[in-house]
Amino acid sequence: MSCIEDKFAQLRATYPKELNSSLVMPFLRIMLDEKKHLGESDAVFIATYLDLPPMQVKEALTWYTMFYRQPVGKHVIKICRNIACSLMGAERLIDHISAKLGIKPGETTPDGRFTLLLVECLASCGTAPAMQIDDDYHEQLTEGTIDQILKGLS
Amino acid sequence: MSEKIFFNFPVTADSHTLAAYKKRGGYQALETALKTMQPIDVEKEVMASGLRGRGGAGFPTGSKWSFVNKKAPVVYLCCNADEGEPGTFKDRWIFEHSSHQLIEGMILASYALNVRNAFIYIRGEFDLPYRRLMEAMSEVYQAGYLGENILGSGFSCDIRVMQGGGAYVCGEESSLYTSIEGFKGYPRNKPPFPAVQGLYKAPTVVNNVETLANVPWIIANGAKAFSAMGTEKHPGTKLFGVSGHVAKPGLHELPLGYPLKKLIYEDCGGILNGKQLKAVIPGGSSTPILLPKDVETANLDAECLATFRTMLGSGGVIVISEGICMVRLLQVLSRFYAHESCGQCTPCREGSAWMNDIISRIVAGKGSKGDLESLERITKGIMGNTVCALGDAASMPVINFITKFRTEFDYYIEHGRSMNDGRLEI
Amino acid sequence: MIELKIDNQTIETQEGETVLEAALRHGIDIPHFCFHPCLSIAGNCRICLVQVNGRPKLMPACNLPITPGMEIETNSEPVRAARRAVMQFITLNHPVDCGICDKAGECRLQEYQVKYGNEPFNIDPKHHKPKFYDLSGRILYDGERCILCSRCVRFTREISGTFQLGIVERGSHSLVERLDDSTYDDPYSDNITVICPVGALLRRDFLYKSRVWYLEPVRSVCVSCARGCSINVWKRGHHWQLRGPGSEAKNRMIYRITPCDNPDINGPWICNKGFDLGAFMSRPRVLRPTIGGSAASIDEVIEATTRLLSQAKSPAALVSSHASNEELAAFKTALGDKLTVYTRQDLKPEACDIVEDAILIRADKNPNSEGVTALFGHKPYTAAGHDLIIVWGEGVKLASLGAATIIHLASFESPQEKTADIVIPISTFFERTGSFTNFEGKRNCFDKVFEKPELVQHAGELFGRL
Repeated sequence: MSCIEDKFAQLRATYPKELNSSLVMPFLRIMLDEKKHLGESDAVFIATYLDLPPMQVKEALTWYTMFYRQPVGKHVIKICRNIACSLMGAERLIDHISAKLGIKPGETTPDGRFTLLLVECLASCGTAPAMQIDDDYHEQLTEGTIDQILKGLS
Repeated sequence: MSEKIFFNFPVTADSHTLAAYKKRGGYQALETALKTMQPIDVEKEVMASGLRGRGGAGFPTGSKWSFVNKKAPVVYLCCNADEGEPGTFKDRWIFEHSSHQLIEGMILASYALNVRNAFIYIRGEFDLPYRRLMEAMSEVYQAGYLGENILGSGFSCDIRVMQGGGAYVCGEESSLYTSIEGFKGYPRNKPPFPAVQGLYKAPTVVNNVETLANVPWIIANGAKAFSAMGTEKHPGTKLFGVSGHVAKPGLHELPLGYPLKKLIYEDCGGILNGKQLKAVIPGGSSTPILLPKDVETANLDAECLATFRTMLGSGGVIVISEGICMVRLLQVLSRFYAHESCGQCTPCREGSAWMNDIISRIVAGKGSKGDLESLERITKGIMGNTVCALGDAASMPVINFITKFRTEFDYYIEHGRSMNDGRLEI
Repeated sequence: MIELKIDNQTIETQEGETVLEAALRHGIDIPHFCFHPCLSIAGNCRICLVQVNGRPKLMPACNLPITPGMEIETNSEPVRAARRAVMQFITLNHPVDCGICDKAGECRLQEYQVKYGNEPFNIDPKHHKPKFYDLSGRILYDGERCILCSRCVRFTREISGTFQLGIVERGSHSLVERLDDSTYDDPYSDNITVICPVGALLRRDFLYKSRVWYLEPVRSVCVSCARGCSINVWKRGHHWQLRGPGSEAKNRMIYRITPCDNPDINGPWICNKGFDLGAFMSRPRVLRPTIGGSAASIDEVIEATTRLLSQAKSPAALVSSHASNEELAAFKTALGDKLTVYTRQDLKPEACDIVEDAILIRADKNPNSEGVTALFGHKPYTAAGHDLIIVWGEGVKLASLGAATIIHLASFESPQEKTADIVIPISTFFERTGSFTNFEGKRNCFDKVFEKPELVQHAGELFGRL
């Protein structure tokens, strides 16, 4: 926890007191980056640190989709299923990844390496189809480039 | 041939740096404004330019700024960088290649509005755009363009970057500042309007990235030069992002009023694989879809598109070729809106999920007679009755797809399968 | 003062009012779920949409400031169409639980569905959500019935200040929840079951006990502290009295207690002790007069008491701060000059109690200390060698009163180490009309809920006979 608290303290030092409540989102992000998935106790931790009602942070934790509340694999694959990507073959590529990893969207591979998620528009419409693995965007995907990208991940 | 406000430099390995930006005239406008202009003059120039919001609603920027009482104890400026409207990918370009243009625009806007603390709310998924923005922010603080007493002018300003958490609705202005306040992003009823009571109950302006990034050019070149481009009611240039079934998808900076047909067939190389055009969504998935006959004469500006009963929106042009199943395509959108509905108000929360249930049932081959009438009735029950425009955005594709492609929907319901083999790609 | 035209009728409005507030004040019934006069504006249910100056886009009346020249239509076709649509959206996934739902008969959803709903049925199956979610040991939450109006959430943020409830998840998956590892132990928690417009928040105390149309409310006053909140005591209605074996118990049962809106004293709220008053008043009663521990007739007891009083050299009385103003006045007239009067606070805060807060709860756990003070001043008991003491009410350890003869006027049984010489059963305030005076000097009246049991006496009438 102390690494997280250090980051909390560092960021809070740059915020004026009247903007204290604005630290909720950045703090959730900091904790997510450290812990990979969050639970209610993490929300309570943040609330206590910021002297805010725990329920406020719990609501935020459950409402934003990027704050995973179930364990995820080493790499989280988020493939776009929205309109431009669908028009450029996203469905076919989702089936391809699914078959290749042996899991359905929403699941994690048994060896814990990959979680496959379907997400909405990543703002890569001009370079569709697109996916995001962890932080990295991968665009203009084909079955071949997907295979290569996955091969390059440990 | 109009001037370029964004695509006016070759993109290279370091064209995004402060040094490169300054070489092409960057931060001149800021220096000029701080040294020779009063805040009200900056606002007047933006007002005179006729600049309208580039995020989707197209509201005159100068007017929006004028609603704010600059003498209030606190005024906030929020840059809406939560680019999430399907079909839109312009703001990320600005961050990746010209963050300084946005930052300079924000400092100018903050000067005009008397803002001490400004925010950039950038969608949480963005990685390279975010990193480039943070590099630029670091350069800006080092150079003294932000912080205390900027360039010795007496004007102080800080910008904080806040990352979103994955919610399309946070692109709505009141949802955006509710999120900045540290809450889930429920939009708010108006009144009170943001200009009176927004972020932390203070007067607030929320502007799109592209809108703010236009401001340095306007201050440097003058309102008249800006309004000389585009149309009379919708001046300037716009970043149009074309995606879907065109040979050359991508971003184009064009003057407003540019013919849609030219954009598709000349600038983007026409339809993929030599196919015929079936439909075009002109401004992001929430805007009503256009048919080929409309594309013949539609120009990309707010007024012209309004005559076609659609909107410019974010300028995300999505091109759909013949052979595509419009029923399945609609389900892609209805699933999106149901997923993104925040849940606050009854019509959108229940209605968007219901529409998605019905459309999904039709796609699964289990449509029934009366489903289309139900969908039409649901859209009427949602539109205009919600806290924010997401309800309208969810309803418009439904009512427009069904109206303009009725045959396909009737067929799918009657036969339990698509008229076009369920095709989404070509 | 801006005049407002609603449905062609001109009404006067107050500064800062919304259209909904002005309309309701004039008895114009614009439907609303999420609006509550004591809570912030949420504007999420959308049933209050009205038409403004003929414009096409409808506006929610709850959030509509009044401007000069404003003309509102609440019954035009667009408004009626919007209400039908909103009602259909609300009932879309609402379970048809009316047959087993406690709220039936006082449910706003039922009322509005009949008045404003008229859309064709939806054939798709309803979505399911958790039912029987324990917010606490006292309150059940039903996620399917909930319409997410957020009244309960706003209550915990704006009235009780505990922030213990929130709406989690997004879109159609939204639910009201508390923190997982804790319970909704807000001392004002039960108020949310009253303000919930549907049957999503239910008191376990009242669960399945009765249909509300068999019950009727009697206006009364809570006696848990010196605030004296106005309450409604719910009992079986006059026409629905049961007959036959075991019916007496049901006919004398307190089914539930709810707040009675009193702008002067408690507004629309009471604390949980008020909700639990039924249990307090249903404790075992003293039902028969006794002399020396053995049963006696009331005449015998009155005769004995009168005799002892006249013979006593130094009689005293400990008056009760649970006594009504009327009883206290009767006591003063009959006996005030004949003995030394001591005053007290019958009940003290218990270990688990909140002593006092900034909302309603007062440290003085008795309803009529003010009434006592007004008539008798402030005179705490000190052992002063009295040979006869009349103990009125509860909270006194009889063994601590020394060797005096004790006459105990009691409603409720209490474990005592020493038996009183004479015990006279007296009525509770549920069994007569009267009034208490609260800590601010405000007088609050209560009505009779039940007839008193046969041998029990009204203290006010008793004093005149001594």
